[in-house]
Amino acid sequence: MTHEIDRRHFLKMSSTVLAAAPAVLATGPAALAAGAAQPASDKQGAPFVSTHRMLDLPKARGPRLVIIGGGTSGLTIAKYAKKAYPKFDVVLVEKRCMYSSCFASNLWYPGIIDLEFLADHSFLDAAHNSDYIYVNATCIGLDRASRTVATNEGDIKYDFLVIAPGISYDYDKIGVHDIDTKVALRQTYPGGFICPTEHVTIHRKVRQFEGGVFIQTVPSGNYRCLPAPYERACLIASVIKHNKLKGKVVVLDANPEITIKAPGFHAAFDELYKGIIEWHPTSAVTGVDVAQRTVHTEFDSYKFDDAAIYPNIRAATLIEELGLMAPPTKSNQKEANIDIRFYNLIGDEHVYVTGDSRPMPYSKSGNTSNSEGHYVAKVLAARAQGKDITWTSPQTLCYSMVDAFPKQAIWVDTYYGYDATKDAITGFKDTKVDNTRSEANGATYLEWAHGLYRDMFKA
Amino acid sequence: MDRRSFVKTCAGTAIAAACWRGHPALAAAMADHPPARLVNADGSPLKAADVTTTEALVFAYPYRGIPCFLINLGGRAAHPTALASPEDGDYTSPAGAGPHANLVACVAICMHQLSYPTPDYSAIRYAASGSPLTDAPGLIVCCTHGSVYDPATGAARVAGPAPNALLPARLAWDAESDGLIATGCVGDKFFARFFDAYKSDLIDRFGPGGYRQPVGETAVAIPLSRYSAAVSTC
Repeated sequence: MTHEIDRRHFLKMSSTVLAAAPAVLATGPAALAAGAAQPASDKQGAPFVSTHRMLDLPKARGPRLVIIGGGTSGLTIAKYAKKAYPKFDVVLVEKRCMYSSCFASNLWYPGIIDLEFLADHSFLDAAHNSDYIYVNATCIGLDRASRTVATNEGDIKYDFLVIAPGISYDYDKIGVHDIDTKVALRQTYPGGFICPTEHVTIHRKVRQFEGGVFIQTVPSGNYRCLPAPYERACLIASVIKHNKLKGKVVVLDANPEITIKAPGFHAAFDELYKGIIEWHPTSAVTGVDVAQRTVHTEFDSYKFDDAAIYPNIRAATLIEELGLMAPPTKSNQKEANIDIRFYNLIGDEHVYVTGDSRPMPYSKSGNTSNSEGHYVAKVLAARAQGKDITWTSPQTLCYSMVDAFPKQAIWVDTYYGYDATKDAITGFKDTKVDNTRSEANGATYLEWAHGLYRDMFKA
Repeated sequence: MDRRSFVKTCAGTAIAAACWRGHPALAAAMADHPPARLVNADGSPLKAADVTTTEALVFAYPYRGIPCFLINLGGRAAHPTALASPEDGDYTSPAGAGPHANLVACVAICMHQLSYPTPDYSAIRYAASGSPLTDAPGLIVCCTHGSVYDPATGAARVAGPAPNALLPARLAWDAESDGLIATGCVGDKFFARFFDAYKSDLIDRFGPGGYRQPVGETAVAIPLSRYSAAVSTC
C-alpha cells in the first residue's frame, strides 16, 4: 500500500541523505583531516593542460555550449538546452564511444533485462535527433580566462561550459590506502557504479556463482543510488533462491539503518530471503585483505567467495584536476564549488557543474540528474539571454526491484526544498513511497528506464 | 460506414468547423482527420450509453499507431480549456460529447517521456476511483514518472513532471444511433516525434509504415484492462 511518507521515515531518509551535506557534517573532523591531507587548493591555478591545437569543429553558429560528460546529466542538458534556446551551438564531449546506463544495470544480473536494454542507445543518434555535435574525446584541461576547454583530441572555445563527469571511488574512506589493494579491488571486486565494464564483471560473477558467501558492501555518505546495493543484494539472493544454491549474500552496511525504502527492503529480506540475506548494520568496512578474501569491519571480519565492494564515492577526479573543488566545509566528497541553485561555479557564470559531481545533498540517481538537467538547460538558456530564472527542485523517482522471480518492485518519489535564509537545500518534500512490492511496480520500473532513454536519445 | 452516417458525420464536422472560425488559434491547432466510428471488439457500434465510468477505453486515432483514451466523466462536466502544446500550438480542448456531454477523448501518450498503452502493458491509465499519486478521483495518471492529468479540463497537467496537457481528440455524437465518431485531434507534429521515438517497436507491431496509416472508417474501442495485459497501479 502506498501512503504519504510519515514523519519518522522522512527524518530517517533525510538524515541519511543530508549526512553528506555541509550543514550537518557528522564526520566533520574526519572530513577536515582528509581535506587537510589533500587541500582543495591543490590544483587551483595549476598550469593549463592543452593540446595547443583546436579540435576540428564547424564554426559555432551561435553561443557555443560545450558539455563534458555524456551520462544522464550531460545528455539531458545537451538536448534540452538546444530546445530551450535553439541558437545554442551544442557540443557534447564524452570519453566513451559506447553508451551503457548505470541506472537499471542491477536488473541485468538476474536476467530481468539484457545488455541491449542498457546499451542499445547511440550517442550519434542522440546528437543527430537533437541537432548537436557529439565528440568522442576526454577532457584534460580548462582555462577559464580564455574560455577554452582542452580534450585529448584538441581544444574547444566555449561561451558556456557544463562539466558533468559523474563520480570516482574513494577507497581511502574504507580504510584501503595501499595502491596494490586499491587496484585489486577495482579490478577484481568492483563496486559496479561507474563503468559499464564493471557491470559486465558483476554480471559474470552472479551468473557463475555456485554457492558460498557473496559480500555486498554499502558505503556511508551520499553515495550514488542509495537503494542500489540493497536492490543488488535482493537480486543476487533471488538468483541463489531460484537456483537452489547453498549460498548467502552478506550485506555489510556502514549505515545504522537501510538508507532508503527501509520497510520495503526489510520486508524482502525477512519474507523472501530469510537465511539467504544476512544484513549487518553499522558495519563500515575498515579494510580488505584481497588475498585472504576477507573484509574487515570495526568489530568483525568476514570471509567471502565473491564480492562487490562498493567503497565511498566522491566527485569525479576531473573536478579536482581542473581546480573546481569546493572547500571541505562545503563538501566532504570533493564535489564542485558551485551555486547550489544555479549550478555555476562561484564567481563564473560561464562554467557549470551538474550531475553527481554537485555538492547538493540530492540523491545521486538517474532520475535526479535527468530532471535536474531539464532545469539546468533552462538556466543556461536564461543566462545566454540575460534573463533570470526561478529555482525548481529536481525529482528523485527511484524504483528498486526486490525480487526477480517474479519481478517485483518498490518505489519512492520525492522533491527537495530550498531555504533562502540559509541558502541551503533543506531535505525531502512532497515525498510518496510504496514499500509494498508488486509486479505492477516491477513493470513500471522497466518503463521508467525506457522513459529516461527516450528522453535522452530521441528527438 | 454507410452513406447516411457519412453525410451526418460530415455535417457535424462542418458545423463544428464553422463554430471554430471565431477562434483562429483553435482552428489552427485542432486538425480535422477522416472520421472514424468507434466500434466494439466484435465490430458492433459502440454506444455512448455503454461507455463505462470505471476505466478508460482505448482506440487508435487518427493513425493506427496513435492510442487514445475515451473517458466517461460520469457526473462531472468537461470544461473546454485553453491549452498549449509546445509543438502543435495553442488550442482549446473540445466540449464533452454524448447525451450528457460527459464523454471526452485524448491521446493516451504521456507528454513527459511518451509512455503509452501497448498490448503488453500500460503505465498510463484513467484512475476513476483515485490513485496513490493523487487524492482526487477521476484523473489520468502516468506511473512512469508520476505525471497527473485532469480529463475534465482537456487533460491539463495537474502534477508531476509533464510539461503540458495530454493532446485532445474530438468526438461527435450521433443522437439517433447513440454512436460516437472521432473527427479530429491536435498533435500532428507530436505524432511525428512519437513515431520516431518508437519506430522499431511500431514496425514490429504494425509493419513498416503501418503505424502511420489512417485508422479507416472504424476504430475499435476496448477497456484498457483488456487492451493491455498489465496496467500499472500507482
